[in-house]
Amino acid sequence: MDLHTKLKILGAAAKYDVSCSSSGSSRKNRDGGLGNASLPGICHSWSDDGRCISLLKILLSNCCVFNCLYCINRASAETPRATFTPTEIAQLTVNFYKRNYIEGLFLSSAVYKNPDHTMELILNTVIKLRKEYRFNGYIHVKAIPGADPLLIEETGKYVDRMSVNIELPSNHGLKLLAPQKNRDSILKPMEFIHTRILQTREEKKLFRSAPSFVPAGQTTQLIVGATMDHDLKILRLSENLYRRFSLKRVYYSAYVPVTRHPNLPDIANPPLLREHRLYQADWLLRFYGFTTTELLDEKRPHLDAELDPKSAWALHNLHLFPVEVNTADYELLVRVPGIGVKSAKRIVMARKHHTIGYETLKRFGVALKRARHFITCRGKYYGERNISLTGLRDLLTSEVARKRNTIPTGEQLTFQALYPHAFTDNDVYTIISGEI
Amino acid sequence: MIHYIYDGSFEGLLTAIYEAYSRHEQPEKILKGNCLQDSLFVKYVFIETDEQKARTVYDAVKQKISPDAAKNILYAFLSENKEAGTAIYQYLKLGWRMGKRVDSAIADPWVFKVHSLRRKVSGEAGRMLGLIRFQLLSSGVYYASIEPDHNILGIIAHHFKQRIPGQDWIIHDVKRALAAIYHDNQYFIVPFEFNGPLPLDQSEMDYQNLWKEYFKDIAIKSRINPKLQRQNMPLRYWKHLIEKPGAAKDL
Repeated sequence: MDLHTKLKILGAAAKYDVSCSSSGSSRKNRDGGLGNASLPGICHSWSDDGRCISLLKILLSNCCVFNCLYCINRASAETPRATFTPTEIAQLTVNFYKRNYIEGLFLSSAVYKNPDHTMELILNTVIKLRKEYRFNGYIHVKAIPGADPLLIEETGKYVDRMSVNIELPSNHGLKLLAPQKNRDSILKPMEFIHTRILQTREEKKLFRSAPSFVPAGQTTQLIVGATMDHDLKILRLSENLYRRFSLKRVYYSAYVPVTRHPNLPDIANPPLLREHRLYQADWLLRFYGFTTTELLDEKRPHLDAELDPKSAWALHNLHLFPVEVNTADYELLVRVPGIGVKSAKRIVMARKHHTIGYETLKRFGVALKRARHFITCRGKYYGERNISLTGLRDLLTSEVARKRNTIPTGEQLTFQALYPHAFTDNDVYTIISGEI
Repeated sequence: MIHYIYDGSFEGLLTAIYEAYSRHEQPEKILKGNCLQDSLFVKYVFIETDEQKARTVYDAVKQKISPDAAKNILYAFLSENKEAGTAIYQYLKLGWRMGKRVDSAIADPWVFKVHSLRRKVSGEAGRMLGLIRFQLLSSGVYYASIEPDHNILGIIAHHFKQRIPGQDWIIHDVKRALAAIYHDNQYFIVPFEFNGPLPLDQSEMDYQNLWKEYFKDIAIKSRINPKLQRQNMPLRYWKHLIEKPGAAKDL
C-alpha cells in the first residue's frame, strides 16, 4: 500500500480526535537538530470545518480489536484498514515540518493486537523521531488504556503531551457503548501520568538536567450526546479532572453519528450548540473562578441553549448587580456578562490612573450590549430601567439563538419526547431507534 | 499648525521626535513622505534622517521609559499605519513624564493606539509563523512567499533561524520586495525580486499533494464551517497557501 493511500485512511480516521493544540512546551532546538516547540503553540492551518490544524494528526493503525459502537474503526465496521511503519511516520512528519505545514506530530492508534503491542509501536516511533531524525518539534501521543505503565513511562520521556481519552462521561455509558473499556482502565493511566509529572517537577528542582516527562501536561476528551448524561454530570467530571489530575484541557466532541445501533441515539446532526455551551462553561471553570454548582444544579442539569452560561448565571444572581466598574474587584468584574479576562485586566490597570468612562469601556473590548445591564460607570447606569426578568433575558439572547429557535432542527418526534414519564431508561434506547 | 515629514524609515521617525524636542516645537502630526496632502493651514517641515539622533532617542526610550516601550514603538512603526508616527510621538511625550508607568495608562487614547498597533503587528507575525509554506527548490533551498499587511519580516525571521538552523531558506515579502535570506547560521534582510516559475525539487510536488489530500480528509463533513475557517485564516492569506491555492482570485 503506498503512502498516499495510508495517509488517506489513517488521516481521515484520526479526524474525530479533537485536540490539536501545540502549546505548553518550550523544547529548545538542540545540536543543530530539527525544530523546537513554541510555548503558546502555533496553528498552521484551519480545515474546512474551521478547526485548527497544528499537528499532523494520524493513527498509527486503524486495525482495532475493540468494538466501541460510536467509533468508525470498531472491529465490526467495514472500512479499509492500514498500518503505518515508524519510518513512514517519521519521514512524513519531518518533511511536513520542514515545509512549515505542521508544528509536530499527534499520534493516536486503534488497539492493534493488544494495548501493550500498540503502545510499544508508538514508543518506537517517537524514539525514532527523537533519536534518529533528531526531531525537536512537538509530539502528542495517546496513552493506550490497559498498556503496561512501564511503556507509558518510557514514552512520556520523549513526548511533550500525553492524553488518555475518557470517551464517555459515565461508566454506565461505557458499558453500553464501549464494553471492552471501563472507568478504571482509563483513570489509572491518567493518575499514573499525573504522579510522574509531579515527581519530575520535584526532580527538576534538584537537578536542572533531570530528564523531562510530558512537559506540556496531559489532556483528555469525551463525546457529548452519545449517551443520556446531562451537562451537570459532564461539568462535574471535568471539574474533578482539573482538580485531581491537573489536566490542561478537557475536550468535548459532539457525537457525530457514524453508524446506527439500538444503543446509540438517532440524531441527524452532531449537537454542536451543546458542545459550544460546554466549552463556554469549561472556560468559566478554568479562567473565571466559577464552580459547577454555581452554574448548574439537580433542578436544572442542562446548560441554557439560548443563553451563554455566564449570562444565565447572572440572571439567577441579579442581587449582585449592578457593579461599579471603577471600584469592583477583579473577581467580580470577570463575572459580568460581556466582560472577559482581557477587558477586566485592562479596566483594573487603567483605573489606577483615571476613573473609567463608558466610552473607554467600549475601546477596552467590553461587549456593552450585554454588560450595560450589569454595571454602573462613574455611578451611572446605562441599561434598561424597569425591565422584567424575561425582558432582560430576551435582550441577552442573541439574534442567532433566536433564529435558531424558530428553524426546525429536523429532530425526529418520538413517543419518548411526548410522554417522558411512561418509559424507563432501557425502553428509551430501543424506542429511539425503533427496534425492540 | 506644523506637520513633520520623515523619509519613512524608523530612524527618520526617531529623528523627527528628536527634532521636535530640541526645537521646542509641538508638531500636530508626524507623517511619512508619501502621505502628504497639501493644506493651506499647515506648515510642512521636512526632517533629514540622522542615525546619531535616532540612536539617542531610542536609547533614551529604553532607559527612561522601559525596554518594553522601545519594543512597542518599533512594532507600532512596523504596522505602516498612517497614524503610527503621530501616535508614537504622543505616546513618548507621555512616556517622558510617566516613565515605565505609561504602559498602564491605557485609558489614554494614544497609549491605547500604540498598544493596539503593536497587538496587530505581533498578532499577524504570530499568525504568519504558522501560515508560511516553504517549497523545496532543486538547489536545496526552502523558499516561501508572503504578502503580510504589516512589515513583519524582521520579526518572523528570527523564529525560523532558531527552529530550522540546518536548512537554507528564503522568506520573500512579495508586497514590499524584501526577503530574509538565511544561510550558514545568519540571515539578512535584503531587497529582493523574483517572479516566474520556481525550480522545484523533484520530491516537492509529492509532499504538496500529500499535504493537500490530508488537509481535505481531516475536515469532518457534518461540521463544515467556512465562516469559522475564514475568521481564523483570512482569505487574503490563502494565495500563498499550498492547501488553498489561487483562492485569492475569488476575492
